[in-house]
Amino acid sequence: MMDELELLKKDWQKKEEHLPKLSYDDIYPMIWKKSSSMVKWIFYISIIEFIFWAAINFVSSDPQYMQELKAMHIYNVMMALNFVNYGIILYFIFKFYLNYKKISVTDSSRKLMKTILKVKRTVTQYVWFNLIIFATYMIISLYGVLIFSDEGREIVKTATEQGNEMTFWFLVISVSILFTGVLLVVIWLFYKLLYGILLKRLKENYRELKKLEV
Amino acid sequence: MHTNQENLPTTLNKELEHRFVTELENNQNIVHKVCSLYTNDRDSHKDLFQEITIQLWKAYPKFRGDSKFSTWMYRVALNTAITLYRKSKKRVDTQDYDSVIFKIKADEYDDTEEKQLKLMYNAIKQLGDIDKALVFLYLEDKDYSEISETLGITEVNARVKMNRIKNKLRTILNP
Repeated sequence: MMDELELLKKDWQKKEEHLPKLSYDDIYPMIWKKSSSMVKWIFYISIIEFIFWAAINFVSSDPQYMQELKAMHIYNVMMALNFVNYGIILYFIFKFYLNYKKISVTDSSRKLMKTILKVKRTVTQYVWFNLIIFATYMIISLYGVLIFSDEGREIVKTATEQGNEMTFWFLVISVSILFTGVLLVVIWLFYKLLYGILLKRLKENYRELKKLEV
Repeated sequence: MHTNQENLPTTLNKELEHRFVTELENNQNIVHKVCSLYTNDRDSHKDLFQEITIQLWKAYPKFRGDSKFSTWMYRVALNTAITLYRKSKKRVDTQDYDSVIFKIKADEYDDTEEKQLKLMYNAIKQLGDIDKALVFLYLEDKDYSEISETLGITEVNARVKMNRIKNKLRTILNP
């Protein structure tokens, strides 16, 4: 095998003459083309995600909705949650930016992969944060609707009058949990698939280099 | 990402562009060789060459010249191929392309040697991204310290890895 590789090395060096030759004018326009690298895609997707969640939040925050929240006595809680939400989102934007800046092709392969996987980890954290916030909003809203809204009180009253209050609450809670759970799983699967596809090969390569450490 | 270049005065910028393109033109063989190892058809070769060029240009302002331009190029080109490049699914006539890049002139070798080399090249093509990078640097006559520095592993590990690759190649060649 040693000899064969040595032979190959000699042959490899001879191959230079068969390689394509690009001229200065061929190369010059290339430097201004757009990159299609993975990192760019991860960054774009995370920005799209951010806009998506911010838009959902924005659309659902019209004045009428605010009035409804006040009527349901959950306005303060919701505002506090919004405050926390935006604070954390700002923190994530900052982190996305920092990670993106840190990615450098001149690092060693292992370090570069590590940085990219760290970007992915930030995205995953961001996804989890969104899922948790989403679930919290759902729970508070449900609580508000059932306890304080006219329709909710009506439903609860009817159920109580019919004497099966326990069954009613049991049903409400299990349906809510199920609904929220399914939604969360769908969103989670979507992200898993999206970044999984994008980073599969990178993860494998990183694992291969990491294996050597032991 | 182009901010560094764009903020420079035009004349300086032009000078930088000129210097970069000239250096790349002179050292383009390195990039072509990486492309030929990591792609299987002409279109992908061009794609990867394009992507490596972009990455080189992006990183160029940070290139201080404390290492040789070519050494710096090895790292950026390999990192782009291993880490950033998204392989396209299409595979156009692998055989045809191989015969161009890994052209072996029949009159230069006797039959067995030619056959041997062809088999070796095909075996290398079957290796994983990281293994290919090691073989590539080995074929380029880089020492283990440069190999380990490029990949970010220790020299000992680079040696261990190279030995494993040799075993792997042996298995591919003599199944």
